[in-house]
Amino acid sequence: MLLNPLTFYSPTSLSEALTLYRNLGEVRLLAGGTFLLNSLKLLKKKRIKTPQNVISLKRIKELKEICADQETLTIGSMTVINDLFNSPFLTDNFAILRTVCRNISTQPIRNMATVGGNLTCRYTWTEMPAVMIGLEADLHFMGSQGQSQIISAEEFFRNAAKTDKILTHVTIKKDKKATLAYRRVKKSPYVDIPLLSVFVKTYFTKDRFTNTRVVVNNCVAFAQRDRVLEDFLNQSPCSNGIAQEALGHLNQAIYQTRSSDYKQQMFRVSIKSAIEELIQNRNPSH
Amino acid sequence: MATLIINNQKYELNLKGHETLLEVLRDHLGLTGTKTACEESECGTCTVNRNGKAILSCITLACAVEGEAITTIEGLAKEEILHPLQQAFLDYGAVQCGFCIPGMIMAAKALLDKNPEPTREEIDYALDGNLCRCGGYPKILEAVWQAGREMKKDQELREITEPLELSEALSAKQPQMFL
Amino acid sequence: MATTVHKEYVNPVGKSVPRIDGKGIVTGQTKYAFDVSFPNMLIGKMIRSPHPHARILKIDTSRAEKLPGVRAIITAKDTYNIKFGSNEYFFPHTVDQMALESEKVRYVGDEIGAVAAVDQETAEEAVRLVDIQYEVLPHVVDVEEAMKPGAPQIHEALNNIAVILPVNFGNADRALKEADYVREDRFYTPAAHPAALEPHVCVGQWEAFSNKITLWSSSQAPFKCRDALAKTLKMDLNDVRVIKMAVGGGFGGKLEMLPMDFSACLLSKKAGGLPVKICYSREEEFLSSRRKHGMIYTLKSGVKKDGTLLVMTGEVIADGGAYCSYGPTVIAAAIMRIFMVYKIQHFRITGYRVYTNTPISGAMRGFGGVQSGFAIESHMDLLAKGIGMDPVEFRLKNITTPNMVTVNKMVLTTNGLRECIDRAIQAARWKEKYGQQKHLCRGIGIGIAADVMGAKMYKSHESAGSIVKVEEDGSVYLFTGAADTGQGSNTALAQIAAQELGVSYSRIRCKSGDTEITPFDTGSFASRVTFISGNATQRAANDAKRQILSIVAEELKLDAEDLNIVSEEVINTKDHSRIMNFDKALELCYSFNYGRQIIGRGSYNPKTTPVDFRTGEGNVSGSYGFEAQIAEVEVNKETGEVKILKMWDAHDIGKAINPQSVEAQIEGSLAMGIGYTFLENLQFDKQGRPANGNLAHYRLPRSMGMPPMETILIETNDPEGPFGAKGMGEASLLPTSAAIANAIEDAVGVRIKELPITPDKVLKALQEKEQSEKKQTA
Repeated sequence: MLLNPLTFYSPTSLSEALTLYRNLGEVRLLAGGTFLLNSLKLLKKKRIKTPQNVISLKRIKELKEICADQETLTIGSMTVINDLFNSPFLTDNFAILRTVCRNISTQPIRNMATVGGNLTCRYTWTEMPAVMIGLEADLHFMGSQGQSQIISAEEFFRNAAKTDKILTHVTIKKDKKATLAYRRVKKSPYVDIPLLSVFVKTYFTKDRFTNTRVVVNNCVAFAQRDRVLEDFLNQSPCSNGIAQEALGHLNQAIYQTRSSDYKQQMFRVSIKSAIEELIQNRNPSH
Repeated sequence: MATLIINNQKYELNLKGHETLLEVLRDHLGLTGTKTACEESECGTCTVNRNGKAILSCITLACAVEGEAITTIEGLAKEEILHPLQQAFLDYGAVQCGFCIPGMIMAAKALLDKNPEPTREEIDYALDGNLCRCGGYPKILEAVWQAGREMKKDQELREITEPLELSEALSAKQPQMFL
Repeated sequence: MATTVHKEYVNPVGKSVPRIDGKGIVTGQTKYAFDVSFPNMLIGKMIRSPHPHARILKIDTSRAEKLPGVRAIITAKDTYNIKFGSNEYFFPHTVDQMALESEKVRYVGDEIGAVAAVDQETAEEAVRLVDIQYEVLPHVVDVEEAMKPGAPQIHEALNNIAVILPVNFGNADRALKEADYVREDRFYTPAAHPAALEPHVCVGQWEAFSNKITLWSSSQAPFKCRDALAKTLKMDLNDVRVIKMAVGGGFGGKLEMLPMDFSACLLSKKAGGLPVKICYSREEEFLSSRRKHGMIYTLKSGVKKDGTLLVMTGEVIADGGAYCSYGPTVIAAAIMRIFMVYKIQHFRITGYRVYTNTPISGAMRGFGGVQSGFAIESHMDLLAKGIGMDPVEFRLKNITTPNMVTVNKMVLTTNGLRECIDRAIQAARWKEKYGQQKHLCRGIGIGIAADVMGAKMYKSHESAGSIVKVEEDGSVYLFTGAADTGQGSNTALAQIAAQELGVSYSRIRCKSGDTEITPFDTGSFASRVTFISGNATQRAANDAKRQILSIVAEELKLDAEDLNIVSEEVINTKDHSRIMNFDKALELCYSFNYGRQIIGRGSYNPKTTPVDFRTGEGNVSGSYGFEAQIAEVEVNKETGEVKILKMWDAHDIGKAINPQSVEAQIEGSLAMGIGYTFLENLQFDKQGRPANGNLAHYRLPRSMGMPPMETILIETNDPEGPFGAKGMGEASLLPTSAAIANAIEDAVGVRIKELPITPDKVLKALQEKEQSEKKQTA
């Protein structure tokens, strides 16, 4: 027996799931299972009490849909990573999601893990938080009384907000004007343990950076914005040496917390490389 | 009671809820081809296919896959005839101690069923969740690549032979007067 | 009716025939010890020490015994308190481990007892209910600290040094003075773990009415396991049966009896004969099996201007963990390997195998050769650089030759080392690339190594035995003691049997590693199986053949000496005429007039002299294998990332019985070598527990990141080996780290002397180089 005894529920509608979630005590939501199952095993090994009830969201069809209209991309929280990767809707600013999905763990995990799980599992290593903050995504929750709540990704991770509602979908506004870059570094090229990720978005207006977002995940704390670097870039023209110069304008607290020399070096390399990529891929519409 | 569909066979099982698919396969159904080496989704030896996609059975609750088509290594060979992947693993020397092989083959099958002509990089990417401590990666990749081409040939053959069978059936019904 | 014969598998030696046991593996039908299950089987769990060093004051199992579902509990008082070890023949004082400790525990995880219960949960709960009182003692984790006077005393050994091996030849001090260039380097190689995918697992059953024990095991050395079980349980050898199932990898970690094997058997006895299965969790694998010795190598050598390697001196400190296991042989192998590779007259290296309160170090693949390979091959490159000589030229000047006796009396017969180097540098285009690609941050490096084919370690002999039984219908059984742990020995031996017997490989069925049915064999280690077990098999097949031919000769009034069986036909060797086919000959053997069963037997013990551990002299192996390895790398100076562009391995294997299997073994060893170079580092916390004892943090090499590999097989046709074959399986692991480190130096001019080579080390070295260059120009 790898897990402690538990009762398994598999509701077929969101309302059924919400009712169960409200009424059951000691309950956990099961999305892809890649995080929950390993946690349950570990807790059992350490003889820590595990939740009595598990509600699987797998059968709730509306949580799996990906759709896009003129303005918005909507990703259901139960969308599996590989399904997102293969989605034809990942155009314009959404294309960066393909790069992010590619870098997640291993193939069977990509076939099981979900966007919602990756966002809500409260594990500082996961990939989606930084990107969703960078894309200015909104997280849509639904409570047991049917009340919905929208929290911006930035807000959700800034407050490390815990919620008793279920994440139903994520919306991202379509944006043809943004230029984006993403870097994810692992502890060593052969190894899957993440070290850091950096997401940068900017709008080039008359050869200047504007409305820049720099989101950094140092894998120690949740993803957060580096406003020092953002301010510097927003005041800077897009010139040749700017990527190197930018390294002198970082919110050092993010990069130095429990950070080895190597990690700090890799931060510098990643940020510089990401800014250089932005400049290279300057969106020609401006 | 939960109904699991494994290798095209239905099993009615009295599951309590906490059983992982791995335990059900190995302990309840005696299908010991699927292994485990790490207990924490790192090694890939527990890989099986769910609806044609590679998943890790050690972190899948059996109840969560009720009614879905699960394929394990035992479901590949048709009586005495090996699946092209199994045959290729034998032909190209990809088998050493063998502990990783069921998982490798299932991960490869998920890839080749969708894309029988992957590049080396695509094979690498699809098998990146499967460890082989014997280090047999070069021959495993070769076997997968070769198996894919074999499967593509089979697929093409079926495409050619099927229309023929249909036309033969039609012509058999042609009355003599049209000759 | 004759058995099915596939004509294409006639004369199988040298052909890549499919694995004899392959079909079961690819269909998931093959049973490993991991899969063994019986009705009424109990689950066993070991009771382990939570302290790294403590005296056991009291063990109280009463609470655990009362737990419903517990069927048996054993502690030291249920045993005969007999110690076991792995080098009992040559180093009796290193036999230092009890199956279950009663007086002292020496590492976190040390086994004190075991519980058998109806299921896993009950067994784990019972373990927790066993009350043990300890007197905690001071402990030591760092190997150099352990050697200092005043360090906590782990066993009886002074300064915790289990074995000192001083190896001395010629006059090292004088030679150092005569050298034109002398340098000293220190190398550090970390602890690692075999991390076979199948963990240690066994099922033990005691038969009440016959007082007999059966152990279904995942073992590389079932006979060694049997011998140790018989010793510690005070039973006759033929009352202990160890059945080796298919093994999911060993890599040196499954070469001996562990307390778990002992406990499964004794628990079964105490539980009235119910089978007991003990399966290690991955955490227990890292904690309480056998790991690789971490070693500190200090080398000081001298060379002449013309490139002659004059003298090598130094010291090796090996971190042995809490008990001795194969320690003495590992340290001996680490030091002595150099004599197989280089001609060196003056030599003084002292090896120390040291106890620490950490998990036990054993004989992980390479037997100390991986660590010494890194140190010595890196050192050689540095020596070459010191006199401005090309590293290949330097090696060619000093390598051993065919048909020579080394300074420590190893008799080298066939020696393809020069050809290996020539072919490797040709394939890799060494001359074009060495020193020529710095502008691309690319470099090329070489490492060479040699390997033994077995070594007498725990017994006076290391013989192998085989039986070839030919049935009436022409099917052939091969019973061999050799333990196939996945390297394909069943296949290779079946090929040898078929070739010698003169029939198709498809006739052969092979049963190996069952101590009750197969003849004795010391096991799968030191690359011995193809050579030693292969010879035994060849002799057995030859014996069977002679039996058949004597009957044919008798019937047809011919001289049996003139007959042979080739390609399924009995032929007259004088005029090559066909006499009758194999099936007909068999029919004759089993006919009314003769009715003789054909059972061939063979035994082979290589003609070697055991190593005299006082002097370091001894011809330890019947033959020696050689190889040269080249790595080409590209270094990213910004991230410290080292990408291997390609690896070449030229290997003298005597003769490739199954070329595909040989290649697979070489590629596998390269993969393991790459893992050890970049990834694997088993670290211990202050309590001596593995800090990264799980597969999430102890990273194993994966397919991504494996470079293209080119293997070049060189056949020197050894006169002693079966059909000219030597063994192999370890050698490709030995020079890999050095070849890569040497290539990195060629690429960017930095020398890494500590494994694993991680990006941060490369970056740091590059920074230091830049700073020192700035100082020089300033």
